[in-house]
Amino acid sequence: MATRGDRAAVDRSRWDRALDFLYFGSKALGKRLSLALLDVGAVAVLWILTSYVVIRVSTGEIGYTLLPWWLVALGAVEAAALWESFGRSFGHRVARLELRRADGGDPALRQKLVHWLLWHVGVIPVLPLLLAPPPHERASGLTLRPFTMEGRIPRPWWRTSTGLYMAYLALVSIVAAVSGTITWEDLVRLFTNAGATAKFWRSFLSPDTSIILRTVQALIVTVFMAMTATAFAVLVAVPLSFLAARNLMRGLIGRAIYTVIRGTMSIIRSIEPVVWAIFFLVWVRVELAPFAGVLALFVHSVSDLTKLYAERLESIDPGLIEAITATGANRLQVLRYAVIPQIVNPYISFTLYRWDINIRMATVVGVVGGGGIGQALFFYLKGNLWTQAGTVMLFIIALVWAIDYLSARLRAKLA
Amino acid sequence: MAEPYLVVEHLTKVYERGHVVALKDVSFEVRKGEFLVIIGLSGSGKSTLLRCINRLIEPTKGRIFIDGVEITKLSPRQMRKFRRRIGMIFQHFNLIKRATVMTNVLTGRLGYNPTWKTLLGIFPRSDRELALRNLERVGLLEKAYVRADELSGGQQQRVGIARALMQEPELLLADEPVSALDPATSHSVMQYIEQMNQEDGVTVLASLHFLSLARRYGTRIIALKDGELVFDGAPEEIDDRKFKEIYGEEAEEVEIR
Amino acid sequence: MAVKPSAAIDAARLRRRLFALFLDWLTWGYVAYAVMYFLQEYWWSRTLYGFYNPLTLPGWGWPAAVLGTLAMAALCELTGYSLGERALKLERREERPLSREELLTGKAAGKPFWRTQWGVMSILLLALTVALGWHVVKISPEALLNPSERAREMLGEIFPPDFRYFFTPDPAFELRGFPYSILNLMVVTVFMALLATVLGAAVALPLSFFGARNIMGVSPAGWFVYGIVRGFFNVFRSIETMLWAVVFAIWIRWGSPLAGIMALTVHTIAALGKLYSEQVEGIDPGPVEAVVAAGGSRLEVIRYAVLPQVVPSFWAFTLYRWDINVRMSTVIALVGGGGIGDMLFYYKNEGEWALLGAVMATIVAVVWAMDYLSGRLRERIV
Repeated sequence: MATRGDRAAVDRSRWDRALDFLYFGSKALGKRLSLALLDVGAVAVLWILTSYVVIRVSTGEIGYTLLPWWLVALGAVEAAALWESFGRSFGHRVARLELRRADGGDPALRQKLVHWLLWHVGVIPVLPLLLAPPPHERASGLTLRPFTMEGRIPRPWWRTSTGLYMAYLALVSIVAAVSGTITWEDLVRLFTNAGATAKFWRSFLSPDTSIILRTVQALIVTVFMAMTATAFAVLVAVPLSFLAARNLMRGLIGRAIYTVIRGTMSIIRSIEPVVWAIFFLVWVRVELAPFAGVLALFVHSVSDLTKLYAERLESIDPGLIEAITATGANRLQVLRYAVIPQIVNPYISFTLYRWDINIRMATVVGVVGGGGIGQALFFYLKGNLWTQAGTVMLFIIALVWAIDYLSARLRAKLA
Repeated sequence: MAEPYLVVEHLTKVYERGHVVALKDVSFEVRKGEFLVIIGLSGSGKSTLLRCINRLIEPTKGRIFIDGVEITKLSPRQMRKFRRRIGMIFQHFNLIKRATVMTNVLTGRLGYNPTWKTLLGIFPRSDRELALRNLERVGLLEKAYVRADELSGGQQQRVGIARALMQEPELLLADEPVSALDPATSHSVMQYIEQMNQEDGVTVLASLHFLSLARRYGTRIIALKDGELVFDGAPEEIDDRKFKEIYGEEAEEVEIR
Repeated sequence: MAVKPSAAIDAARLRRRLFALFLDWLTWGYVAYAVMYFLQEYWWSRTLYGFYNPLTLPGWGWPAAVLGTLAMAALCELTGYSLGERALKLERREERPLSREELLTGKAAGKPFWRTQWGVMSILLLALTVALGWHVVKISPEALLNPSERAREMLGEIFPPDFRYFFTPDPAFELRGFPYSILNLMVVTVFMALLATVLGAAVALPLSFFGARNIMGVSPAGWFVYGIVRGFFNVFRSIETMLWAVVFAIWIRWGSPLAGIMALTVHTIAALGKLYSEQVEGIDPGPVEAVVAAGGSRLEVIRYAVLPQVVPSFWAFTLYRWDINVRMSTVIALVGGGGIGDMLFYYKNEGEWALLGAVMATIVAVVWAMDYLSGRLRERIV
């Protein structure tokens, strides 16, 4: 007997099928498109790097293409089509896929040709990829399947196209990097001019004792800069981390908040504290240099800690959440008794770690005028006072070493 | 015949857009005071079934009645309230490792106390005394203020039992309570569960890995295979043929003492 | 039967007591410093400014401070308000087994944290630290809320960034006679990080085996090499990249990318070397036993038992380091290391905020992309 409930279930499954088409269709599209983009990108990068080397070596100028841009782009697309049809391409390798016949056998030459020809119709206009399978795969009778080594003998890397590609890529990028950054005179000086630093090392053996007190003062300022920045950052990052944890932010609005916070944080994080310090030194009065340094460290710490905290939240054990939920606890109680006990120690550990980093950063931030020991170092360096600069550096090394040791010890205790 | 206490009707659970079917149209009834054991291979849907009963996992289809209440129709708020009547213990104990045993046991009272108080860690004196009595019952009174992760596996599971006892439950769901324990400890833990069943009249639904344990403690056994109910009957009814049907042709029964 | 406590245990206890006293002494020294700081700021109205205008003590102040703080520490030890004791977990009272009744009524539960003596002490200390920190780093919310005139100008101009010189070089900006566009200099920066990572990893890889206890700890000579390698890692790691850049800028030339590369490389060697060798130390000894049992030599053990276990994490650490090096290389120019930082600081000094914005946007995009890429790759590897 069919009840109302059963009919509803049937209707829902039809709706489900429509959703399924979109869901799996978009997945298939994403898969093939990223495959094609990877391959086109891989070919293009290779060409650009090669051109860079050729131009740099032959003319000493900087350039990225030997041919017109449109030709490079077309060539890359065509090369990708060939690569994906006739071999196991870079994209295949990255996605751990391979092109096989429906019965699992090796593709025949005819099938490869069809695949290549129809690739242009199937991939370039993008939308045909929504079909499952897309036209070039349907017509050639080939399918993309997870790669497996089962029942096969591996080929050495120099006999696979991707292996050769990676080897050439590694070679050409290093040659390009060398040609782009290192000049002959610099290299000569690296091997002949080590004596120039002697004035520096000498001060390590005989530091200037008259500046010890003020150096210690600067050191204390640096420690406090790091501490204050970390403390304020914790206050902001802890609540933010809950909004930036994927497993806690469900639903459309939740996901939107998650994305916005994570995105903002990763943008903030990609600007080094030194650069932030430049901004804040413009922002506040010059007498408040340490405060500007603190603000710079604070901003960077918030973004870093939020990420670390949120990642920790994402990896909490769901079992405890289940257990507390099963007692009839509400969301807040679950948070208090299942989530927080799991994160307290890791959070403290991350905070110590960040404090450690902030001490290092605080010395660097000082160099642009952010107060503390870094400022002292820069002051002496500018005045060519090598003995004093060396003394300050000695103190910095000692401080960083001590804090590193302390924080490592404390973190080991917490683990 | 008494009125059934728990009724499961056509329960189906589907994960991930129709690709993984964890439970397929499972129906059965449990009377009050029964000790029902669920057996089956890993991945046969035992855990999903138990979690559907207190709706830690939302069923896709089907209805569940407990004591005449259709719990699949309850709102989340009502369900939370209802969960106080259902105790649960877990394979990996799921204790707050860094908190004391006492705190862990007290969490069993969360549903009975106002939120703001519990957030500050304040529980009424009566609850604290109940917690200590329950700890004495599972033989862990001395360990009350010890951190939970300092205890052995068997002791941790007994803390889990004490936590469930705090809820003063009518129904206990035990999700492979002894799979992470060695044989000797397994029996001691199972005996505490049996005690709950016999002395307090708590209906027990336990999933177990070993058939021998199921035979020893269960008053009735149901078996799941690939999400389907393949057996429902008394422990004695499982013969060699039935066993092979549930566990597959290559399985061999292992005795655990 | 009473067991006579051995002298060794007593000596250990005494040492711990003394260490506790020392910790208390440090704590009180810190309190004394804070008191002096506030006295000088408010009583003598001296604005203390870290390095340029430090805190001073009269001649007799030193012995007074040392003895006074020592006395306070001793007093703490006597009265029980000792943080050192707590930190070293020295017990004050004897534990006695509680009866069932005491347990059942909940008498065994300890006092809450804020009512214990050390709890009171640490809360007071925390309050003092907050107050002192506030003054030492010159926190000023009002300065944050009222930006300077220059800052307003900066905010007005930086959006939208001016990408005029992204492809074509800015005629006003030259590095050693060579006109660089943003793109060209960014490429140089990424190349710097690349070379530093490759060089650093190539050196750190063989060194790390010499810095692993389980590989080297078979002979006295091995221990000696281990000590030297580990010492090298630790010392060189604690010297920041920026400091190395100063050294190499003096050595090679201010603003040369090679100086930046060398600075990054040295730090990379030390940092990666330490991470690598910790990985080697943390391997599962099972496969090593198996290869030894099969008659493998030391090199064969490394090749077939150690390397397969550590290669994935080596890759992960190297990618992580690559990520850090890209970030560092964007600012290393500040201390003469070359790269896009030169352009950044040039535009900042000129007050060309719109052009600066373009440089910043490029840096953000590249660092973000590299971060993403290295993160994804690490996920794949581990």
